Amino acid sequence: MQSCPDNRYTGRKPGRERLKILLFLLAVPLLCLLSLLLGPSGIGIPDLSQPSGSSILALRFGRMLMGLVVGAALSASGMVFQALLRNPLAEPYVLGVSGGAGLGATVSILAGSSLALPLNLPVTAFVSAVITLMVVYGIASQGAGGSPSVYSLILSGVIVSSICSSLIMFLVSTASVEGLHNVIWWMLGNLQPVSPQQQVFSLALVLLGIAGIWVLSSRLNALTLGREMAHYQGINAGAVIVAGLLWATLLAATAVSMAGMIGFVGLIVPHVMRAMFGPDHRRLVPLASVGGGTFLVLCDALARTVLAPLEIPVGVVTAIAGGPFFLVILQRRMKQAWN
Amino acid sequence: MIEHTQADSPALAFRDVSSGYRGREVLHRVSFTVAEGEFASLIGPNGCGKSTLLKTAAALIRPVSGSVSLFGRPAEHIKAAERASLVGVVPQKLESPMAFRVGELVMNGRISSMGLFGRPVAADLDIVERAMIYTDVLSLRDRYFMELSGGEQQRVALAMVLAQEPRIIMLDESIAHLDINHRQEVLQILLNINREQRITVILVSHDLTLAAQLSDRLLLLDGGTLVADGAPQEVLRAELLSRIYNCELQVRKDPWSGELQVSGDLVTGRRRMALDRRIHVIAGGGSGIELYRRMLIEGYDVSTGVLNKLDSDAEAARALHLDVVLEQPFSAVGNACYREASLMAASADMVVVTGVPFGSGNLVNLSLADEALRAGKPVFLFEGIGSRDYTEGKAAGRKAAELLAGGAESWSSMHELLAHLQKSFQS
Repeated sequence: MQSCPDNRYTGRKPGRERLKILLFLLAVPLLCLLSLLLGPSGIGIPDLSQPSGSSILALRFGRMLMGLVVGAALSASGMVFQALLRNPLAEPYVLGVSGGAGLGATVSILAGSSLALPLNLPVTAFVSAVITLMVVYGIASQGAGGSPSVYSLILSGVIVSSICSSLIMFLVSTASVEGLHNVIWWMLGNLQPVSPQQQVFSLALVLLGIAGIWVLSSRLNALTLGREMAHYQGINAGAVIVAGLLWATLLAATAVSMAGMIGFVGLIVPHVMRAMFGPDHRRLVPLASVGGGTFLVLCDALARTVLAPLEIPVGVVTAIAGGPFFLVILQRRMKQAWN
Repeated sequence: MIEHTQADSPALAFRDVSSGYRGREVLHRVSFTVAEGEFASLIGPNGCGKSTLLKTAAALIRPVSGSVSLFGRPAEHIKAAERASLVGVVPQKLESPMAFRVGELVMNGRISSMGLFGRPVAADLDIVERAMIYTDVLSLRDRYFMELSGGEQQRVALAMVLAQEPRIIMLDESIAHLDINHRQEVLQILLNINREQRITVILVSHDLTLAAQLSDRLLLLDGGTLVADGAPQEVLRAELLSRIYNCELQVRKDPWSGELQVSGDLVTGRRRMALDRRIHVIAGGGSGIELYRRMLIEGYDVSTGVLNKLDSDAEAARALHLDVVLEQPFSAVGNACYREASLMAASADMVVVTGVPFGSGNLVNLSLADEALRAGKPVFLFEGIGSRDYTEGKAAGRKAAELLAGGAESWSSMHELLAHLQKSFQS
């Protein structure tokens, strides 16, 4: 038996916890401001007295907003998949969202229709992502009597993803040079601001998704103990799982339709936030959203500055810049996140 | 409209409940009631359906037929959140892949009573604190759950379920892994909440003595049916338990405390090694494996045959290093093999025939039993050979009838057969 009084003080101290969260939330606007100072045209606030200066700032501001929304969506989505699937390797694309969206987008780009109608590409990507989720869920449910197991979900997700990627490869291999460039650029991911109406629409979807997840957060906590135990705690486990999967897919599909496929954010930011602030989802939902957004904003600022005037795809920067930093954090604090 | 639970209805009632998993029914038409405030234990051999019964009672599994009611209301009409305030289940093992601390985990017990965003109010915190004090896990509050020992984890799981403040607590083998002091503590907690707060306790237990000591009621399950239901002294009868558990068991009453104690026989000396008794088994198609195993454990020399190669009994006999006569796969027993088996059976002290089906290919094996009977050795036939007879003109059935008329005995329960063998060898 642990009767040593020190035990009570080895864990989280509420005061220190709050301070940590406060510091983090203070750092967020500062980091966002920093991103406004970085760009291919030079470091620092552009000269606002000239029209070019104010338009540069407007451009940077637009990309910052894109980064915040896309990053938050990916991170929150990944967090939900990790909780529902009880698996640290889960990420927003685990159930084939990326494969489905990518296939839809590739078809749309190569068919040339993305130029004809401004909203065609994002809508196609979004719709095919949601269709893919339904296919994956349907397949996984077949053998399990209506409610799929975590393993059958992951497995059928991986298989459907592979099929989609092969189809994309096939389409790419037969594409013209110009189409090829567009497809690859889209798949690498970038935060070029989308049309205003799409921005408003996407922002609404992402806010809705995050709110939906936040409402589920205490139930997500219970579900990490497994479906059976969650049921005994008075939770409608099946309904929560379906709702969580839907919200998470909505977020991931929205992010993909805005910015293409940006990897790493949805996998690693939830882990880091969990390592820093513990696995309680009531806190983790807002923190992971804010954290993911800020991370992507910073990565994008780096992407357009480091090799200026050349711009590196932001999806490349997320892993290169974020990888080592997060490895250090995880190596030191993984115990606080997963067993 | 709020349906109130009726004061005089039983806490848990099963009416003709059949239940199980897709394609596999585990419980068959089980009926019983547990009154509020009762302490009942579910006992029975592994795989008899105890856990399935708990899961059905907690509405995790919907019954295939029949009805389950909690406090007089059909379980399927009770909303999930309200059900958690009626029934709490302590699982065999609680696993949390994420690094939750003990305090956070116990707080899960209040989920269904908290609001949309799961913010606990002062009353919730009090309940959680009380549950943690009760189970002696308060000092573990800030530790990571998965770093605790198995016994500590079990007490945390119990605290979490107590924090639900359910009116029925069901425990699924949850105390089996506790060390003795914490087992006593947990049992005392259960007894206290049962006696003082009239909380109904349903315990799944392997420990029959413990179950008898704690419970007002024992429910004995076997093969998915309820075979006995009543006070411990009514259910714990040596003859019944020996049959259900398929081994020799004694029930003793402690002369001082009056407590019932169930125990089996263990031969601890070297006696069984010196049994030096040989039994020839006529088996096939997997009907012999369990008998080989039990006979070897009891210390007999076992020979078997004639079997066909690739038969599952033949594989088992080879793995267990039994003396065995093997015929080619899928062919009728030939003369050479029969003569070999006949010699083998002649050196045995008795011959046992299992529940193997007979056809024209292995009918001749019954002649081995015939020879043994003529030599004055005891012969045991598994009952109902006629129903497993695929020979033309029901030759095996007629042969069996002749053997029985000639002094062979019929057997149906392995445990009875082994008890009988032991007796006949001792005399």
